[in-house]
Amino acid sequence: MYIVIIGCGRFGTNLSKEMSDEGNDVCIIDRDANKLLSLGSNFNGRKVRGIEFDREVLEEAGIQEADAVISVSADDNINIIVSMIAEKIYNIPQIIARVNDPEKKFIYQKLNIVTIDPIQYETEILKSKLAGSSGEEKEGLINYLQKEMFL
Amino acid sequence: MKTIIVGGGKVGYNLFKTLKEQNYEVSLVERDKDTCMKIAEDFDADVIWGDGTNLNVLEDAGIENADIIVAVTGADEENMVICQIAKLTFENMKTIARINNPKNIDMFKKLGIDNTVCSTEVIAHLIEFAFDKDDYRIISTLERGKMIITELFIREHHKWKNQFVKDLILPNECVLVSIIRDETIIYPRGDTKIIENDKVLVMTDKKVLTELVSELYGGGHKKWTLEKRK
Repeated sequence: MYIVIIGCGRFGTNLSKEMSDEGNDVCIIDRDANKLLSLGSNFNGRKVRGIEFDREVLEEAGIQEADAVISVSADDNINIIVSMIAEKIYNIPQIIARVNDPEKKFIYQKLNIVTIDPIQYETEILKSKLAGSSGEEKEGLINYLQKEMFL
Repeated sequence: MKTIIVGGGKVGYNLFKTLKEQNYEVSLVERDKDTCMKIAEDFDADVIWGDGTNLNVLEDAGIENADIIVAVTGADEENMVICQIAKLTFENMKTIARINNPKNIDMFKKLGIDNTVCSTEVIAHLIEFAFDKDDYRIISTLERGKMIITELFIREHHKWKNQFVKDLILPNECVLVSIIRDETIIYPRGDTKIIENDKVLVMTDKKVLTELVSELYGGGHKKWTLEKRK
C-alpha cells in the first residue's frame, strides 16, 4: 500500500516507521526539516519537506498514486484542508485525519472526514482505569470504542 | 447587514475601520490578545479574542445574525477552514477569503470557496497595468471564461478611430459595453464617435475575441491580466 502521511510530530514519526516496517511504501511530509531528520536512518520511506497542503509538495510526495492519506499534523486546519484536497482533487480511496482539538471534531464530521480523536480516546480509557470506576464506566468505554471502530 | 471579520492584522483592522465608518454592523475576531486589546481601545465595537476556527468564538461574535464572514488572517489554511465552517453551519452565509499565496487560488476554488481576494495578485496586476503598452487587455472573464470583457486601445491607425458606433461591423457575439475617455466613462450609443486614445470595453467570447483582435491589430499583443481560469 502506498501511504502519504502528513505531519512529522511524535505521532507521525511513530506511525511512519511502523507502517514502513510493515512493508508499506510510506512518504511523510512536514514543513520542518529538523523533524524529518529526527526520523533517523532506519526509516526506509521517503521524506518531503514543504507546506503540507501545497499541491506541488503533495504531488512531489506522489499523492496521485496514494492508496491512503493520513493527516496527523498538530494543526487541525492543516489536517482538514489536506483531507479535503485528498478527497476532492485527488479522489484518494482512504483518508484519515487526527483531531487535535475535540471542539473541532464537528468540522471533520460535517465534511465527512474519517477521524481518530486521541484526546477523547485517552479520556475515555483513563476514566475507566481510574480507581473506583464502576462497571458501568467500563462498559461505557467498550461502547465508545465500538462506536469509534465502526465510524 | 452584519459582517464578521476574522483576523486583526493590517487588512482586518482597516477593513473593520472602514466598515465602521460606513455604519455597518461589524465585529472582529482576533487570536492574539494584545492585538485585540489595541483594536478595542481604538473602536467602540465588538472585538472578540479567540480562535476564528472555533464555532463557539464565532457564535460570540454573533455569527447567527451575520450575513457575511470575511476571513483575512495571514494563514491561508485558517481562512479556508473559517469559510468552510461558516458555509457548513449556516447555509446562506456569504464568505470572502483572503488568499496570501496566489498558488492557493485554484485550490480554494476547487474546494468550493469561490469568493476570494488575493492582494499579491491584485498588486501584480496593477503593476502590470501601469506598464501596459499593449493593444488590448483582458479585464475579466465570467462564467469560467465563456464571457470575456476586454479593453481595446484606440491608437492612431486603428480601424475604429473616428467611427460612429452605429457604423461598426461587429460579430454577433460581441457588444460594446463602454468607452473610457480621459478617465470619464461614456455609455456608447449609435451616435457616439470613437476617437484616438479611447479605451473601448467590449464583451465577447474567446473565439470572437481572437478574430476581432487579429482583424483590428493584425494579431496584436495580448495581455492576460487575469490568470486563465480552467
